[in-house]
Amino acid sequence: MDKESIDKVLRVNNQIEELTRVEGFLEELGEEWGLSMSLVFSLNLVLEEALTNTISYGFDDNFQHIIEICFNKTGVELSISIIDDGHEYDPTLKTDPDITLPAEDRPIGGLGIFLIKKIMDTVIYQRKENRNFLILTKNIES
Amino acid sequence: MNVQVVSSADYTLVSVEGRIDTTNAGEFEKPMMEVIEGGCTKLILDCSGLNYISSSGLRVFLVVQKKMMALKGQFRLCNLQPGIKEIFDISGFSSIFSVFPNQEAAIKG
Repeated sequence: MDKESIDKVLRVNNQIEELTRVEGFLEELGEEWGLSMSLVFSLNLVLEEALTNTISYGFDDNFQHIIEICFNKTGVELSISIIDDGHEYDPTLKTDPDITLPAEDRPIGGLGIFLIKKIMDTVIYQRKENRNFLILTKNIES
Repeated sequence: MNVQVVSSADYTLVSVEGRIDTTNAGEFEKPMMEVIEGGCTKLILDCSGLNYISSSGLRVFLVVQKKMMALKGQFRLCNLQPGIKEIFDISGFSSIFSVFPNQEAAIKG
């Protein structure tokens, strides 16, 4: 028998306030899909980091844009695709911060994408038909 | 998010509850900066009620740490929930902050 595959989609606008809606959506998803509290925390963090970047820096105009977030769970594999029509930007190319530096030498900021890479198992970027696809996967067996 | 500030002779105790994220990190930064500008040299942040933090929140922690170090003051954290501790470990923050298991230890330490 094939593993059961379930999908859910959330669409948000390019406004920071939408993060509150993402939080609520993830809480419901966590209950529906039986995800642990700590996993919901991690996914919330990952989405906030990715969306904050896209919303803050991804668009060159002041128009409203829709960002689509597709969730899929197949067995113990969870995947999240974030799709936007902003300018081309590959976050996987960003250099990791040096986390061994003392406080006085640590730059302010620059942790967001690093946290995504650390929390998720794979982070893949694709540019297709003038859209950015950020595809994140994680094995959620625990 | 709720932030409570209690000042005593030797130290200032700040307790934060709820979430620190991109939407409200500024609301956390403001009272922290006021405490520092008020001349506090021993700042204890009780995180027992903090259940979510993103890089926007971590940024404020680092700003406070840098300011306190420049002022030769002390910034101590206590009662980090496991999820918060994990983010601190991942980002290397566990080694640049003084983290104590509870308030008493942070006050004495």
